[in-house]
Amino acid sequence: MVDRWLRREDERLLTGAGRFVADLRVDGRLDAVFVRSEVAHGVLREVDCSAARETPGVAGAWSAADLPGLPPMPGGEPAREWPALVEDRVRYPGEALAVVLGDDRYHAEDGAARVRTRIDPLPAVVTARDAAADSVALFDGLSNVALRGEAGSPIAGEVWERAAVVVESRYRQQLLMPSPMECRTILCVPEGDRLTVWSGHQAPHRLRSELAALLDRPEESVRVVVPDTGGAFGSKSAVFPEFIVVAWLAVRLGRPVRWVEDRRESLLVATRGRGQDQHVRLAADADGRLLAYELTVEADVGAYPHLGVAFPMQTAWMATGPYTTPLVHATVRSVLTNTMITYPYRGAGRPEATSPLERTMDVLARRLDLDPAELRRRNLIPPELFPYRTPTGRTYDSGDHPAALDLALRTLGYDGWRAEQARRRADPAALPVGIGLSCYVERSGGERGSLHDYVGVEAGEDGTVVARCGAASSGQSHSTVFPALVAETLGVEPARVRLIEGDTDELPGGVGSFGSRSAQIDGAGLQHAAGLLIEEARERAARMWDLPVEETAWSEGAVHPVRGTAAMGLSELVKRTGPLRIDERYEADMAFPFGTHAAVVEVDPDLGTVRVLRLVAVDDCGRALDPAVVRGQAFGSIVQGLGQALYEGVPFGDDGVPLLANGLLDYLLPTYAEIPPIDLRETRTPTPRTPLGAKGAGESGCIGTPPAIVNAVADALRLDHPERLQMPLTPDVVWRAAA
Amino acid sequence: MKITLTVNDAAYPLDVEPRRVLADALRDDCGLTGTHLGCEQGVCGACTVLVDGEAVRSCLMLAVQCDGVPIRTVEGLAGPGGEPHPLQRAFSAERGLQCGFCTPGFLMLAAGALDHDPRLGDEEVADLVRSNLCRCTGYEPIRRAITRAARDHQNGQEGRHRSV
Repeated sequence: MVDRWLRREDERLLTGAGRFVADLRVDGRLDAVFVRSEVAHGVLREVDCSAARETPGVAGAWSAADLPGLPPMPGGEPAREWPALVEDRVRYPGEALAVVLGDDRYHAEDGAARVRTRIDPLPAVVTARDAAADSVALFDGLSNVALRGEAGSPIAGEVWERAAVVVESRYRQQLLMPSPMECRTILCVPEGDRLTVWSGHQAPHRLRSELAALLDRPEESVRVVVPDTGGAFGSKSAVFPEFIVVAWLAVRLGRPVRWVEDRRESLLVATRGRGQDQHVRLAADADGRLLAYELTVEADVGAYPHLGVAFPMQTAWMATGPYTTPLVHATVRSVLTNTMITYPYRGAGRPEATSPLERTMDVLARRLDLDPAELRRRNLIPPELFPYRTPTGRTYDSGDHPAALDLALRTLGYDGWRAEQARRRADPAALPVGIGLSCYVERSGGERGSLHDYVGVEAGEDGTVVARCGAASSGQSHSTVFPALVAETLGVEPARVRLIEGDTDELPGGVGSFGSRSAQIDGAGLQHAAGLLIEEARERAARMWDLPVEETAWSEGAVHPVRGTAAMGLSELVKRTGPLRIDERYEADMAFPFGTHAAVVEVDPDLGTVRVLRLVAVDDCGRALDPAVVRGQAFGSIVQGLGQALYEGVPFGDDGVPLLANGLLDYLLPTYAEIPPIDLRETRTPTPRTPLGAKGAGESGCIGTPPAIVNAVADALRLDHPERLQMPLTPDVVWRAAA
Repeated sequence: MKITLTVNDAAYPLDVEPRRVLADALRDDCGLTGTHLGCEQGVCGACTVLVDGEAVRSCLMLAVQCDGVPIRTVEGLAGPGGEPHPLQRAFSAERGLQCGFCTPGFLMLAAGALDHDPRLGDEEVADLVRSNLCRCTGYEPIRRAITRAARDHQNGQEGRHRSV
């Protein structure tokens, strides 16, 4: 039965036949358990693994001192090195002090429990502001400030002085845990000169090159395979200290070693997202035309310099948002703090840009006594101004922002809700409702240097087609969507096309899946490669038939002479002319998906509770390769956005340790009980930067939804100073703001 | 301890430590890795299996508690001829899964409920979906899938009754 499964991934995942890293069976495999610091900051005085080594079932236990030559994390600064195991100073809670390998996890944990450690605690700093004061230095003699950057030019004082209205506000973009249902995984299997690394990962080729460099061996000797991966959301795109230890020990011992992170560890030491303290100034004239916007970002980036240090620049570059504001200036200061590092999490830099701007737009509307929708309409970049170069250095490709706003308002029934709001305001017994809007623009595809990927299409003698690309799926339906695209381009049955990705032995290269790049870059690339395959097929047929190429044509998976009917399919062509394979490095410029999200909430000011009555999301990702897949991801990301707005956050104790000891009972992921009615709508403005026209999809909800909800709560409570509403809007936060 | 786990009608004689949790015994000792571990504290429900017909978090139960008790996992959900369970079909049709990691838990939770009462109402379905965590789908497709499966299951059963 052909139609039994909608996606090619479904049968194995629904029957228990999926293969995630923890499901792989390898003889002689050892399980790694890490002994972790219970303090956030301190001087390591002692690690004694001797008792652990005597524990039944334990194959070995090591501290940093036992593993001379263990390489540190790549990509850092020599003066602020991030060791894979703590050498003398603990800088974040959960940092690994020792590793124990056992013949199973139980025995490894038995051993880990017997490792004796002693740490002299130091004061911890967990906010950017505290850390920037440098009263507590994470690295002796060095400032905690790891990076300063800016986008746009400083705005002259007179601009603010002459403006009819200037709104100033402060916001916190709280730390979030990406929380894929499968935590991080790695299994390293040494065999002769080769090391095979299985990992649920977003960027297998980068992982391969980093591990090869760390282990000082040729890249070809390392194979990285990404099997089924249980979600990622940005959190599985790097190499991690635990990965280095596991790979190092696997090679050293000549035995397979794996680390399957558990949830408790994940909440302590998985990368976290967001983490910014922001100050904004927004100036407008009396008609509500935006004059200037200034965004100051203090980012807490965690304990060690790494790629994420520069990531807040994403927020700076996107600070302009969807408006024609002529003057925009954003500054960033990334500060080291005693936490695990911040790193891209779904949205990655764009939610942090959208939220302060959209929240401030609502304050400005209130100050000007303008409808928030009207204020936005007056300032949205009109379609005829694209490509639009922003003051913060982005060139937006295409967009019809007013159309997205109007569709959102219509879908919501905006005027009806305003009437309901007025009715309730006149009724002292009624709970207030609020309406919140958020217009966003995001960037997809990547930054310069990562706007390309490997793509390939190969026709086989048996009539099948193999598509290859450097992306790696962690739930995004690549095995269904990409073959369908290639099949459509070639004019063959989708069932004849299969995808190979996520295996460095099977691909000449690759970049990976992050930053909403797979459809935009790999998709466009696969379409391009399929087009090249058609060209090559026509050239071969032309030679065979002794015709000019122009006298050949392609339709429905076969080449034929323009005059005449004798068509030749791919299989026959390959049999006659030899292997037919296209391998390309495809590159395209970044694109800018956009849209408008709207929320209606009911607030109980006495209890501080927020009930979301309605969410509307209008997203525009250009051409959707598979609209249902895009909608599925849009819906899921809205729920993650709902989580940021109302539930999720990482609170710290005075000692700098996250107050998440009860795991997912403390870190509140949304459940079905929290899901409001959600309406998804689309507009379609293709990117002109690829023939395919697809922009990135799947992150919009994390970007557009949180400020819509917060604005709605502020609107319900008619707050003049919504600074008191900082996410997550727990009953405590809302009750205090309402008081 | 020597025990026998009876999983999907197959017997697995095992020698396990008393502390070994059921999920680990199923995954590592029986090789049934369709049951996934998402939190190991009973919150997420990815490891849900049926023990004597009741949905349990297999990360919170010891293997030795299940000696001789019939256990059903996602590997045993399809019919004897490999015919997919209505839930499996419905999850695909309604796009109730993306990465698929939490899926076996939702499937077994719903399978247990359908076995008890094939006429699941909207509120019962909502209660089921509220019990487990999913980070990809936003749950609504899972709700639709279980509702659809309940309907199909019922139609199928009534069809069988009629044909008798």
